[in-house]
Amino acid sequence: MSGSKPDILWSPHHPDRYVICDSELGLYRIGPVGSAEAKAGTLPLSEETAATLLAINSDTPYMKCVAWYPKHEPECLLAVGQANGRVVLTSLGQSHNSACKELVGKEFVPKHARQCNTLAWNPVDSNLLAAGLDKHRADFSVLIWDISSKLSPETSVAAEKIRLSSVDLDSSTVVTKPLYELGQNDACLSLCWLLRDPKLLLAGMHRNLAIFDLRNTSQKTFVNTKAIQGVTVDPHFHDRVASFFEGQVAIWDLRKFEKPVLTLTEQPKPLTKVAWCPTRTGLLATLTRDSNIIRLYDMQHTPTPIGDETEPTIIERSVQPCESQIGSFAWHPSSQNRMVVVSATNRVMTDFTVFERISLAWSSTTSLMWACGRHLYECVEDSAEGVESMIEKDIATKMRERAQSRYGHDTVQVWRNHLLAGGKDAQLKSLWHDLFYILSVSHMKQCAEDMELKLQGNVQSVVYSGIKNIVKTTSGTTESRRCWIGSDRQTDVLRYHSEERCLALRLCGWISRGTDTDVENFLRSLEQEHEWERAAAVALFNLDIRRAIQILNKGAMAEKGDLNLNVVAMALSGYTDEKSSLWREMCSSLRLQLKNPYLCIMFAFLTSEPGAYDGVLYESSVAVRDRVAFACMFLNDAQLPRYIDRLTLEMKEAGNLEGILLTGLTKDGVDLMESYVDRTGDVQTASFCMLKGSPGEVLKDPRVQCWIENYRNLLDAWRFWHKRAEFDIHRGKLDPSSKPLAQVFVSCNFCGKSISYSCSTIPHQGRGFSQYGVSGSPTKSKVTSCPGCRKPLPRCALCLMNMGTPVSNCQGTGKSDEKVDLTRENKLAQFNNWFTWCHNCRHGGHAGHMLSWFRDHTECPVSACTCKCMQLDTTGNLVPSDSS
Amino acid sequence: MQEQSSGEELFATRNMDLHILDHRLRVTSISKNGLVNFTHPLIKLIFLRNRTRCKFFSLTETPENYTVVLDEEGFKELRPSEHLQVESSIWLPLNVVSNGNASSSSQAVGVTKIAKSVIAPLAQQHVSVFMLSTYQTDFILVKEKDLSVVVSTLEEEFNIYKEEGGESVPVHCQDVSNGLHKNGREAIQPTVHPVLIPKNQFCVMSLDPDTLPSIATTLIDVLFYSSSPKEDPQSSPSQECVKFFSFSLIDGYISLVMDTEAQRQFPADLLFTSSSGELWRMVRIGGQPLGFDECGIVAQISQPLADSDISAYYISTFSFDHALVPEEDIVSVTDMLQHQRNEPATS
Repeated sequence: MSGSKPDILWSPHHPDRYVICDSELGLYRIGPVGSAEAKAGTLPLSEETAATLLAINSDTPYMKCVAWYPKHEPECLLAVGQANGRVVLTSLGQSHNSACKELVGKEFVPKHARQCNTLAWNPVDSNLLAAGLDKHRADFSVLIWDISSKLSPETSVAAEKIRLSSVDLDSSTVVTKPLYELGQNDACLSLCWLLRDPKLLLAGMHRNLAIFDLRNTSQKTFVNTKAIQGVTVDPHFHDRVASFFEGQVAIWDLRKFEKPVLTLTEQPKPLTKVAWCPTRTGLLATLTRDSNIIRLYDMQHTPTPIGDETEPTIIERSVQPCESQIGSFAWHPSSQNRMVVVSATNRVMTDFTVFERISLAWSSTTSLMWACGRHLYECVEDSAEGVESMIEKDIATKMRERAQSRYGHDTVQVWRNHLLAGGKDAQLKSLWHDLFYILSVSHMKQCAEDMELKLQGNVQSVVYSGIKNIVKTTSGTTESRRCWIGSDRQTDVLRYHSEERCLALRLCGWISRGTDTDVENFLRSLEQEHEWERAAAVALFNLDIRRAIQILNKGAMAEKGDLNLNVVAMALSGYTDEKSSLWREMCSSLRLQLKNPYLCIMFAFLTSEPGAYDGVLYESSVAVRDRVAFACMFLNDAQLPRYIDRLTLEMKEAGNLEGILLTGLTKDGVDLMESYVDRTGDVQTASFCMLKGSPGEVLKDPRVQCWIENYRNLLDAWRFWHKRAEFDIHRGKLDPSSKPLAQVFVSCNFCGKSISYSCSTIPHQGRGFSQYGVSGSPTKSKVTSCPGCRKPLPRCALCLMNMGTPVSNCQGTGKSDEKVDLTRENKLAQFNNWFTWCHNCRHGGHAGHMLSWFRDHTECPVSACTCKCMQLDTTGNLVPSDSS
Repeated sequence: MQEQSSGEELFATRNMDLHILDHRLRVTSISKNGLVNFTHPLIKLIFLRNRTRCKFFSLTETPENYTVVLDEEGFKELRPSEHLQVESSIWLPLNVVSNGNASSSSQAVGVTKIAKSVIAPLAQQHVSVFMLSTYQTDFILVKEKDLSVVVSTLEEEFNIYKEEGGESVPVHCQDVSNGLHKNGREAIQPTVHPVLIPKNQFCVMSLDPDTLPSIATTLIDVLFYSSSPKEDPQSSPSQECVKFFSFSLIDGYISLVMDTEAQRQFPADLLFTSSSGELWRMVRIGGQPLGFDECGIVAQISQPLADSDISAYYISTFSFDHALVPEEDIVSVTDMLQHQRNEPATS
């Protein structure tokens, strides 16, 4: 703070006052900018705050350092250290305070004048003021003054041998006898009282840091170092001290004072200030000369200095409170992470709050939590059930619900899986229907491979490879021109037929078997589901206007039916193929106003030129399967693959699951699924869907494996361990290569051979664990010795029977549970016979016995063993959150 | 971490450290007439601390000339000239640090404290010393070639450290030279030099380096414009006032020695000194320029002062040596010196 270089001090007790000291002392009050606006002469410090100058004190020239009296009363007492070593007590704006008056103006004069470098009030015994001075020959450089000491020289007992000439003790306000004199023949550059004991004073001396103990001033603890400037003790961790030398900060631990616990990266310019944040643990702010940034070091994770082996992690970052170069800064004593910064010139001040780093944690069950400063925010999904939620549920919630409803596990009526998923998602519905048709078609073919043999290549792979690949190979297409059913009017609509197209229609679900093009079954099912418009459109595309009209009438009359359907039926009945008719003209323009896409495409079909059906094909609200079926009927061999390719690309880009119909479960399908997963995060659907694919390349795709693994991890994270197991079983059935190899073997204590392995080497039997009472009925087999060496197996620590002996009775099941289904009980009984042992103490026994033992105990059942087996297992105490 | 007790007994044998400071110094003299050629480098060395890498600078004005002692960085600033005399040796400053030992019964300051432990032994080994007392401490300058003798002589009494790049490295005799080479001329009995005790009173003061600019004009005035034509050094009577002004800026610390007349020209509150505000009288040693090879001159003065426990500062210049003693002790010092001169054989 020498000369023009300013410094800032916050009032220890008024959170809104601070002092700037440069050539004079200026007391400021900080307040919200609005209230201060009324008064003239306020200085804006930030967007919200402004400062008002309350008082100026320029009584003490040549200030070198200032320290604010730490106690409440007198409240604005400052000690000023001067260039000649004198320490003067002064005050700001406290003229009426009598307690203060007595002290203000008091001077403490060292024997030999030299610069006063630093001042520190004792935080507990606030009468004590330590002053650090430059070196002067053999004089002391640390003087501790008692500000309450009586002023008259005669009361100072045992006056030291100072040869005082009478020149300067003119007034009664001068004290020349310090309470303690320390650091002889040395210079003191910085001081701070240690918070762990107010009798200890840490001083940055010339080339060493010294701790003086006031109870025994002839002793000092010191360590040689160059980092002796700006010693400051961490207010949150009283053994931690920072000091600096030029550009380097050293952090010390007083319990291990031989060397710094760490040194921070050296800055090119010399440091001017280092300060611990008083409101946050382990945050150190540093300032270098000619800089407009403040560097922050976050030492959160270094509470103990256990030598070199725990290399502490420090997060370093910089903040720039203002544009100009910073002269000094001061942390606010209580307001979180806030500081006032004063510029190096012109005393421009800035109120600044260091924004905390935000740490965020996302639980596997959709709730989100983040911490900023001392605030912890939790964001939980609104799970109000009855209310029709405006926002879609998070995918994690959906997946959890679906996992609980056994989504994906219906392997017979595959389409039902969309109902298990809630039945609300159109894409899932489409997906599972696609898969259903694919599976049923492929199944059918396996049974009756009559005419399909004509298809090239592997039948199954063709079916799995989607319509895109099916229509690519189309050949032998015939075209036909048919009459409108129930009318003898010839249409000018060309309809194409081929086996591939027929197969595609089947995959679309329009027709059910063979080359039969009858869609009546499909229409009936649509009617059942009240999809009147769609049914009418399908009927119309099959050139049956009458049936279409009939369906619309039915729809209008049905419960909650739309009466407008009658109007549409009426319009439909007026169909004429005359090119220039009013009907045609009106329909082609008014159809666009129809809200229902199926009604819209009906008129588009009727009014369009043959072979140009863009109005139908590119109506994106119409289900893909219907558009594809339409295309298979009315596009020629050139148009069809082009359209399908285009649509496939569109679906892939959008990640629309309806596109699986086109891509099948091929690499294309995985691409599509990838963009779906990217869009939704739904690894569950992706996993189940891809498992349905024909074993082979699709399952080997790393993306698919990644989804599956992620889904398994997700189930684990939700503690849905039973679901996970179910999924693994399901997966193992569909993809046998995923079954893990045995990783754990039980080996015999005597011969060291695996007891299961050794039996499999016996040629006549492929026995497994089943012999050891692990499966099957208890009476079936008893093998209680090692098949290799015939020595007995170890005994269960609880029942003391050799392993392999089945557990006698299931003690756990009470009478009331007797009606529990037997299969489940059987399974449990099998598990109860299982081997289990602690990896630490190697004691163990029957799993059932162990489970019941550790339900009530923490220690190993073996009497001499104190191993806390169950606590060693981190997941042992967790309970699955799914109930099966 | 070290525990240190300042209890006397524990460290009775060696409670003093001797530091060989990290400066390589040249001793030069600028003639009064030639000063005009050197004002630029001198102003730069005194006032523009940030513009020069000189860390050790001392300028002492005596009626004969200006003595400038400075390190090699500073020496580069001085252009060779007929007005500049340079002593050929490199000088190394030594500094005694007592290990926080408050037990010393002596209240005396300055060279008196080191008269017996440093100055006398060196004189016995015929090591020539150049003394420079400042407000802060006393520097003992020795020639670089004498360093091995200095170390071997003082090793008994002191822990010796050499400062290198901010680190203090312990030094032992064998580190300095392979064998002990003694300065010869055993039998020469030191000459007793005439002394001169001018009437002016001196003060030893210091200054906050940051306030140096505010006294710049006064300082320039006192340093460079003081010798008005009427005050011809040759004509001034020996018993009257003698012009003596010393300014040093060493490792960032300023020290000023001036007479009360010069002091009055400075603002009263800027310069500071000991709270006792004591005044000093000067004893100038030497009738003819003393040269740099003779040894024992300082010892001659400091030893009797130490015997009487009288504080003293000692400032050597290019031509003569100057001792400063407390004003109240000048009578006894004068008696003592006269006694010494009357019985040269016994000294």
